[in-house]
Amino acid sequence: MQHYWFGDVEGGACTPAQGDLGALSDRLDTLRITMESFIPLSWEDAVACGVCADRRDYLDRLRALCIRRAETEISAYYQQSDIELLQMVRMLDEMDTVINLLTERATEWYIVRNPGFSRKYRAIGAKKMLSIIKKDRASPLGSLAGEIERLASERTRLMREVSTRADAVAPNCSALVGGLVAARLISRAGGLAQLARLPASTIQVLGAENALFTHLRSGTPSPKHGIIFQHRRVHNAPRSTRGRVARVLAAKLGIAARIDYFRGEMSPEFLEKAQRRIDDVAGIV
Amino acid sequence: MIWIDGVLVSPGEGGVYGERMLKDHRVWDPRRSKLAALFAKGGGRDLESWMSILYLGAANGTTVSHVADYVECVYAVEFAPRPMQDLIEVARRRKNVVPIMADATHPVEYAPLMEEVDMVIQDVAQPDQAGIVLANLPFLKQDGVYILMLKTRSVDVRADPDAVITATVRNLEASGLKVHAATRLEPFHRDHAALVCTRK
Repeated sequence: MQHYWFGDVEGGACTPAQGDLGALSDRLDTLRITMESFIPLSWEDAVACGVCADRRDYLDRLRALCIRRAETEISAYYQQSDIELLQMVRMLDEMDTVINLLTERATEWYIVRNPGFSRKYRAIGAKKMLSIIKKDRASPLGSLAGEIERLASERTRLMREVSTRADAVAPNCSALVGGLVAARLISRAGGLAQLARLPASTIQVLGAENALFTHLRSGTPSPKHGIIFQHRRVHNAPRSTRGRVARVLAAKLGIAARIDYFRGEMSPEFLEKAQRRIDDVAGIV
Repeated sequence: MIWIDGVLVSPGEGGVYGERMLKDHRVWDPRRSKLAALFAKGGGRDLESWMSILYLGAANGTTVSHVADYVECVYAVEFAPRPMQDLIEVARRRKNVVPIMADATHPVEYAPLMEEVDMVIQDVAQPDQAGIVLANLPFLKQDGVYILMLKTRSVDVRADPDAVITATVRNLEASGLKVHAATRLEPFHRDHAALVCTRK
């Protein structure tokens, strides 16, 4: 017997599949066929089966079914909780780059307009700089600086949102390294599912791909940390133990990602043990 | 195939992806489409109005939309959700495009939807492209044509493209196919070749 989308065909006799598009689609998901015994269908069988009138009708029905199935599958894919998070993290990182570039350019422009101005001996951060430039009302520069400032505050809002989302998507990873770093790890891995399947050694150097490949190619020292450097336990650790802390943290993150992906909820017992272990190697003083 | 002043075109409703129009026909740019490049290099088989086609690796449906202008129907298989969104949009406007969201390496996923087709066109970025050809052969009519757009860099980034082409041709010949031509698609597409095959 051959199973097709419109029904089952055996020895010239056809049993039509019943129901609407949804039912046809569900039935397709349950079909178990093998390529060895498969015979391509002929649309005339579908007509004989009584599911359609002619070739045009046959294609219309098949097309409607396939579009329906694809749409369902696409929305199921996008509804995975981490898919939108990926876009948000990438947007956040692009915004960082853009805001820095724009601020630098605006500063250069401001210096040209104010020959007497210098940043030396004055601690003027990017934020302060923007608020100074903003006062230059006589040129388009002033209002541009205002826009850059607005962009920067949008960035902060997005960062909070990323962090909140990461807490929900990956509660254990977020508890270990904070939502933002967790989100960056997920983004770099390409999703929580992918992160959960990475070995700890890879998690340790996620985001340090350039250094890693240079190391593999020409024997420079291996990178000890990538994105996880952004976690305070790693960058606050003294140089001598930093690699060790990074290694332990990555190992715990690997486990955390698996709990997040396969169980999907916070595990206090795991977190407590993991934190203690990380504190141990970091050598709390 | 329709050529207007040496430019390959297809007859159909325009505005699919911002393509130029020429005397009410859609310009089919060999730089954007590997299949168009194959025709521009004088190879391939003409698309006829009675043909049904299986297109593996349909992506955004750009090339598919041109193929659909020529033939009776196109089964367009694509795996990734993002391009599939565009492909569905193309299928809504072109009644002879059947968009199938499935993995070309697992033909069993879409076999219950398939009739035998006159031509298979395969354009997927996978290492085992010859294996995908063999897996999808059951959908091809006895006298049908299989056009493989071979991305040599997907098979092996470091290998010499000509070596990959020779190895693939040998592989296909050993599996019961006859490779009529292997056309390099330079200058339109780098390190690509189009293999036109039939059953022996």
